[in-house]
Amino acid sequence: MMKNEGKKRIWSDYQKEIADDHFFYVRSCIRQSFFPGSEQFFLNLMRKVLGKDVYEDPAHTTCTGIGYHSDIVPAATIMTVVARHFALMKEAGYKNLAVSCVTSFGLYTEILETWKHFPAELEKTREYLFKATGREFDIPENVAHASDIVYSFRDQIAAKAKIKLVNSITGEPLKIVEHIGCHYSKMFPKSGIGGAEFPHVLSGMIDAWGGEVIDYPERRHCCGFGFRQYLVQANRGYSLSNTVKKFNSMKPYKPDMILANCPGCTMFMDKWQYTAKELEGITFGEKGESIPVLTYEELAGLVLGMNPWDLGLQYHMVQSEPLLRKLGVEINASDKYKTKDGKQMPVPQNLINV
Amino acid sequence: MNTDVVVIGGGAAGMEAAGRIAQAGYSVSVLEKKSETGGNLANWYQLFPDRKDSREVLGYLNNVVRNEKLKMLTGTSVKSVDRQKGVYRIKTSSGEIIDTEAIVVATGFDLFKSERKEEYGYGIYENVYSSADLEKMFRAAEVKLKNGTLPQKIGMVHCVGSRDEKSGNIYCSKLCCVTAVKQAIELREMLPASKVFCFYMDMRMGGAHYEELYLEAQEKHSVNFIRGKVSEVGEAHNGKLIVKVEDTLAGRPLRMELDMLVLMAGMEMSGGGKEISELLDLDTGDNRFFKSTDNHFGSNMSNSEGVFYAGTCIAPMSIPETISHARAAAVDVIQYLKSAK
Amino acid sequence: MEKQENLYEILMDDIRFEEGLKACMNCGVCTAICPAAEFYDYDPRKIVDTVQRRDNEEINNLLKSDTIWYCGECMSCKTRCPRGNTPGFVIMALRTLSQKLGYFTESEKGRQQFAIKRTVGDNIFKYGYCAATYAVNPDLHPEQGPVWEYILENTDEVFERLGGQLNGTGTGPLRKIPKEALDEIKKIFDVTGGTEFFELIEEHSKRKAAEMGLQFESKGIDNEYFNEVFTCNSGNHNNLESD
Repeated sequence: MMKNEGKKRIWSDYQKEIADDHFFYVRSCIRQSFFPGSEQFFLNLMRKVLGKDVYEDPAHTTCTGIGYHSDIVPAATIMTVVARHFALMKEAGYKNLAVSCVTSFGLYTEILETWKHFPAELEKTREYLFKATGREFDIPENVAHASDIVYSFRDQIAAKAKIKLVNSITGEPLKIVEHIGCHYSKMFPKSGIGGAEFPHVLSGMIDAWGGEVIDYPERRHCCGFGFRQYLVQANRGYSLSNTVKKFNSMKPYKPDMILANCPGCTMFMDKWQYTAKELEGITFGEKGESIPVLTYEELAGLVLGMNPWDLGLQYHMVQSEPLLRKLGVEINASDKYKTKDGKQMPVPQNLINV
Repeated sequence: MNTDVVVIGGGAAGMEAAGRIAQAGYSVSVLEKKSETGGNLANWYQLFPDRKDSREVLGYLNNVVRNEKLKMLTGTSVKSVDRQKGVYRIKTSSGEIIDTEAIVVATGFDLFKSERKEEYGYGIYENVYSSADLEKMFRAAEVKLKNGTLPQKIGMVHCVGSRDEKSGNIYCSKLCCVTAVKQAIELREMLPASKVFCFYMDMRMGGAHYEELYLEAQEKHSVNFIRGKVSEVGEAHNGKLIVKVEDTLAGRPLRMELDMLVLMAGMEMSGGGKEISELLDLDTGDNRFFKSTDNHFGSNMSNSEGVFYAGTCIAPMSIPETISHARAAAVDVIQYLKSAK
Repeated sequence: MEKQENLYEILMDDIRFEEGLKACMNCGVCTAICPAAEFYDYDPRKIVDTVQRRDNEEINNLLKSDTIWYCGECMSCKTRCPRGNTPGFVIMALRTLSQKLGYFTESEKGRQQFAIKRTVGDNIFKYGYCAATYAVNPDLHPEQGPVWEYILENTDEVFERLGGQLNGTGTGPLRKIPKEALDEIKKIFDVTGGTEFFELIEEHSKRKAAEMGLQFESKGIDNEYFNEVFTCNSGNHNNLESD
């Protein structure tokens, strides 16, 4: 039996400062490719629902983090690419960085720490950036992951909620597994809300929106992305095995859904359930179902009463209908695969949970 | 009030130093902020290496302080200290003013708070206990899990809050390994059906008779020793604890289900000691303990004239070492008082 | 006779190495929670211990081995190490040096760097993204499932409904990154040694392909060598005693 007071004490030790407006948003390669609706919802949430200023510069690029962590991009290069983003921020007059990807977030944090300990590296980076682009940069005042920002507004979201994270049939809070991307706080625990052992960024959202957080033995285990361990087909067994390890560990707790703040983790926990079912016929939900995996933007969207098909849930491998039924969200099957204008699209076959 | 010496702290070191100073004919007042004397000693049941009851040592100390020249002021702490013309003026929490020539700082240690080692789940997962918690259970002659059943598989975790940059203490706390061995033996005696595993980085058996205790633990009590620092503790669906460790001698990762975990918490500079270091402007080291003027021949001396150290306020030490160190402090104080005259 | 450079000293120039290696006391907390140690024949503690011995021959062997390529760079090790080491950073320094020296082609896992360069690396220059929907080929990624093929067949409609800007100008998910920005990225790579590093990977891989008698093309993924390094798994990598 777990004691919450102990966790609450830890959370209070790791309260980081999160800016509350005027953000420079940098996108995630994985999130915009696999969960484009999520990034769009984050911007709508910030701008339209919360009335905040979030700026996106079309000239920003990948941070090259995936290349760096698969060891094809050298350290000096990624520092300079990151510095270019800081320069774009400076030009646009922004001091607060809102980062969509967790690997990026880890990188920005790591690079800023490195520059603190090794000022010569900072100077070198200034020279490189100027030589390559003529740009100059300042160190941002605040760096937050987009999930930090949603966390900081979780009570406002709760106040506007149309849906609670409660099983509408039984009245019980939904059991939710929260999965934190490794690069969010494992490298610098103080840069994550709640630290590295009992991070609070997602459990705070779940608590605020009425759900119940599940702890399970492999909670802190990496999802297994492993960068090169996934990117190269020959290595994918590593990636799959690590995720299956987590699924086996969470299964006895019968989670209703999995929530993740890293786009890669979300993608893997969705796709590897398909792969495990396809290769070995095994599933990890109840009654042979698979467990729906959502981004925090998708969950916030559902809580605020958005149409799941405008959020993009229909484009996961593991379909969310079992979760939507529990939440009491209206499921408009005919709207699921329609274009923006309402034209019928083909319906994908062989998805899971249908 | 005037006195020759004030001893700050009424634990083992404070009591021994004060008693010896009084025996030599000097007046001494002991300021102990708690209502009981004995300090940390009262928290232990059986003491290594010979497993005598701590009450025996307390009895000895209570005898040592029985002296008409010694005043024991419990429930009293230091509020302020001023020094003028070679005299320390101490204002206590009860409003008393004590003028003294010499001060012995004997503020002892605090145990590392195990909840700070978050990944071990102390205060979060049931059945994760500290070594101090276990001593209470031994004293009560009852070792049980939270649900009232007896533990079958017990893990002892060495180096909790010690040798660990992440915990804020890189030093070795010296006594935790032998504590683990002692407690493992006690557990095996109390629960003959149990299995006990010690997860260690090194076996630091640096005191007299410690190594023999280690040998006894293996030969007579079948205590298991696994060379690997516990990396993470979790809770399984069946309520048991899961530790993740590397069996470094076998060279592979290990996961083990246990009923109970005991954390060997290290010794840290006490909170009271920190206050005194500020009030008296005393140097502390990187390890936050008081800094003696010399490691070899000046370990009782502070950077302040007339102020001396006794016991674990300068470094982790065993009870025999504490008592010896306190006696040495008394020698230094007496020498100081004599030369001042 | 190979010239014996002092490999340890070269490693010390890498900032990740400086950050990652203080002194290891072999406590094993890193290996205890390392995902790679569970499934691969891999032990981060042993690697750090080996490297800190500064034995040139041992480091040389590491650089040519499969071993240093098993790490997934999750950095779970960094959180726990009581001495403030980061085995993951040490691995990154070893991998960088292995590629600089051309030793990476001596191991099955090391050779895979070529595949990463030709996918992720080329994406960075071509699109300004490490990964993008249109660049995730279902043939190379069957694990993405039937939904992925569907998305690729209906990308415009999918993105339009979800607010995307697939290849559009201006802002939005998967917008087309302006040419000026791509040019700046290329210049950054040129100036910081990134381009040179990519070229080294290509050069050594080309040499290895010739050695192995495999067809090699100067661009793209449609060649024997790419296919070999992308798919070949000898099956000798696993920790046989894991669950």
